[in-house]
Amino acid sequence: MLDLFLQQSMNGFAQGMSYALIALGLTMVFGVLHIINFAHGEVYMVGALGAVLAATYLGAPYFVVLGVGIVVGMALAWLIALAGIGKVLDRKDGSSTVLLTTFAISIILYEAVVTFFGPTPLRIEGIPGRSEFGQTVVTNQRLFVIAVGLFVLAGIEFVLRRSDIGRQIRALASSAFAAQVVGINVERIRVVTFVAAGALAGLTGALMVPITLFSPTIGHSIIINAFVVVVIGGMGSAAGAVVCGIALGLLEAYVAIFMPQQFASALIYALLLVTLLIRPKGLFGRARA
Amino acid sequence: MKNWALLLAALVACIALPLVMGSFQYYSGILVYAVVLALLGLSVNLTVGYLGYISFGHAAFFGLGAYTAALLISNFGVNFWVALLIAPIPAALLGGIVGFVSLRVGGSYFAIATLTVGEILHLVAGAWMDVTKGPLGIVVPRPRLPFMEGLGLVFHQYYLMIALALLVLVVFTLYRILTGPVGRSWKVIRESAALGESMGIPTLRYRVYNVALSGAIAGLAGALLIPRSAVVVPEVFSSGISATGLLIAILGGKGTLVGPLLGGAVFAALPESLRFIDEFRMVIFGVILLIVVRARPSGLVSLIPSFGRKSKTLSAKASKATVEPHFEPAPPLQVRDLGKTFGGLRAVDGVNLEVRSGEVVGLIGPNGAGKTTCLSLISGFERPSRGEVMLGDRNLVGLPSSKLAQLGVVRTFQQTAVCAEMTVFENVLAAVPHKETMLSSVLRGPGYVRRAQAREAEAYAILAMVGIESAVNQIAGSLPYGDQKMLSVAVALATRPGLLMLDEPAAGLNHTEAGRLSKLLGRLRDSGLSVLLIDHNLKLMMSICDRIYVIERGSPLADGAPAEVRANPKVIEAYLGTSRKEETINAAG
Repeated sequence: MLDLFLQQSMNGFAQGMSYALIALGLTMVFGVLHIINFAHGEVYMVGALGAVLAATYLGAPYFVVLGVGIVVGMALAWLIALAGIGKVLDRKDGSSTVLLTTFAISIILYEAVVTFFGPTPLRIEGIPGRSEFGQTVVTNQRLFVIAVGLFVLAGIEFVLRRSDIGRQIRALASSAFAAQVVGINVERIRVVTFVAAGALAGLTGALMVPITLFSPTIGHSIIINAFVVVVIGGMGSAAGAVVCGIALGLLEAYVAIFMPQQFASALIYALLLVTLLIRPKGLFGRARA
Repeated sequence: MKNWALLLAALVACIALPLVMGSFQYYSGILVYAVVLALLGLSVNLTVGYLGYISFGHAAFFGLGAYTAALLISNFGVNFWVALLIAPIPAALLGGIVGFVSLRVGGSYFAIATLTVGEILHLVAGAWMDVTKGPLGIVVPRPRLPFMEGLGLVFHQYYLMIALALLVLVVFTLYRILTGPVGRSWKVIRESAALGESMGIPTLRYRVYNVALSGAIAGLAGALLIPRSAVVVPEVFSSGISATGLLIAILGGKGTLVGPLLGGAVFAALPESLRFIDEFRMVIFGVILLIVVRARPSGLVSLIPSFGRKSKTLSAKASKATVEPHFEPAPPLQVRDLGKTFGGLRAVDGVNLEVRSGEVVGLIGPNGAGKTTCLSLISGFERPSRGEVMLGDRNLVGLPSSKLAQLGVVRTFQQTAVCAEMTVFENVLAAVPHKETMLSSVLRGPGYVRRAQAREAEAYAILAMVGIESAVNQIAGSLPYGDQKMLSVAVALATRPGLLMLDEPAAGLNHTEAGRLSKLLGRLRDSGLSVLLIDHNLKLMMSICDRIYVIERGSPLADGAPAEVRANPKVIEAYLGTSRKEETINAAG
């Protein structure tokens, strides 16, 4: 039992890292732009697809593949910002309009990928081999995901705290009006944040695809998990996204010991409703409607 | 009259259409499908179009309706047609729960919560083999009606007949609710929940009603599809269904009843006629949705000239005021040691204030003194950090602002808030208190008609009193600024206040308009209303107020009769002294 527990801890940690990274992008965009990017999961999916194509057709080594994931994610996020957010955001009902435009974009992306690449799962190799810790066996890819994830999180923390652009992002998150008054280029910071979130999603896609396989539906399932994380963690809270993302990955892995996968997922999704009922602002949330 | 003719024509079509469809079973099936999609679209449209909350998970209600019916039929041998009527109930309950859980927090959460609920049910339906038979689904035999067949009709004919009749019934029901007080309240909430609260509309309860009704209609649609699909599988909960519902509502035209009907027909017919693009169908719809949302938010309906306007708005029938507005003065308002801190900032600190019955009391102070915050604290829009607010011997702290408005404590907003898309008359009518339910709005018995007429007369009388009755049929958003300000006062008056709290009603008014306002305030005082007035127009304040309180940086500075306050050296130094010139210009208009 203990072995199984340890085993699931490692698997859950790697999975949770992907939730954390996706939720972090979602929550950053919410914090700065006050919108929900419904197409965020599809950016993850297309990033993973880019990785698969780079590995399969170009035979690129895995480190290049990761770069492809990032670039694809950034490019796609930039396009989404262009098509779905620019000009629309400052309308009277901007945030609900953006919810609709990004929803439309997610349909387009998903259906286009299904149409061109079919529903069959695709797979690529990541970091080969596995490591043993006593009775616990972990693939090196999972360890790699955890390591890269921690590195990226530390990097983001550093950028947000120590760099000019990070300070501007935080300023904008606390008040768009005040940020504008002190001369921050609000438009630019919005795009930077959005594209950075895209880079995160694309990278995460490339990181996870050797573990989860590629199928067009992965975007849909990860966005729901990310929503659960973001709501429980508190919309707009970066710490909440990271902590709850990892916690959710672990929880999912443990619950799967006791019940079928679908029930485990359903149970975890239900946590979102419970959170809304008893602590609507989330565990890490500040007072914000 | 025109509406009754329309209803009659629709009912005739319900019978005639299936009769001529006798030998066209294929097309009859598409029509049924169009009806189901139209119902789904109407249901989504109710929350998206009339309440302004986007749903990504109406499949949850749709599927729950389908599974409820299927389980009733297969486990308890209930007749399909009976099950069809029960199916909306759990869906309505689910809608109420999802609405209650998410709408306290905000619209984005509603989108997320509906999506998640749909996903949960999808997973459970697929995995709970004992009950749902998993992915294989529940097979439902064709529910034949011997009675109908005795009349010489074949199944697909009376299936279509019943489907059409249900659609007519739903559209009729929605029409009556939407044109009644409940629907009007939804439109106010869509414009601004705060405005709704200030009018005395318990906005959370009304939003939950809306989602529950929407859930019921989606549940009905889900159950109605069963005879066509013959089996209920977990895919009824799929996000594709939710997406289709949303597409129908938005593409058809949100906030209209005809839009979803058009949208439903298009979505049922297009895949059949455009088989060659079937693969790209959803991509194309996605692109269309993106374009529509960006370029033509009012949807297909707006292409039809007579539906160019977003929703039909009510116009006044009454031509002259037949009743005189009458106000019951509120019990005295006592505010003691009121305080509010935001983080470390003390916005309001130890304010004491009293408004005796029938008194006009002014609250002045330099910009940022905390006047509006005081007003928000008294009216329940912000919760005080300390202190008490008593109305007579009733403590108001902690009550929702809609409850306060019902008790007669009514405020206006500094930023003028009116429902820009409704007529002036409808704006005022929306604020007139009512006890109607959705049911009474649908039935419209003699009592309802009488009460509705009384409300309309009251609304008209208020408009006449405020002096904007000539604009009664204009769209509120098209009014000049000054008239919009007067309209917002009219809206507040229509709630039958006892204590009216006006936040800078004269700001931005020109000389004539300020004069009109001053006259109105005088009339209000004569009619016995207590008024708490915030304004920078000191000439107005001095002439109209019985007493004036002065606050500075959140703390009380002085109070007393206008002449005393004007002579108070502290006031002159803190307030008048620094800006006398500006205020004089302001007062002179």
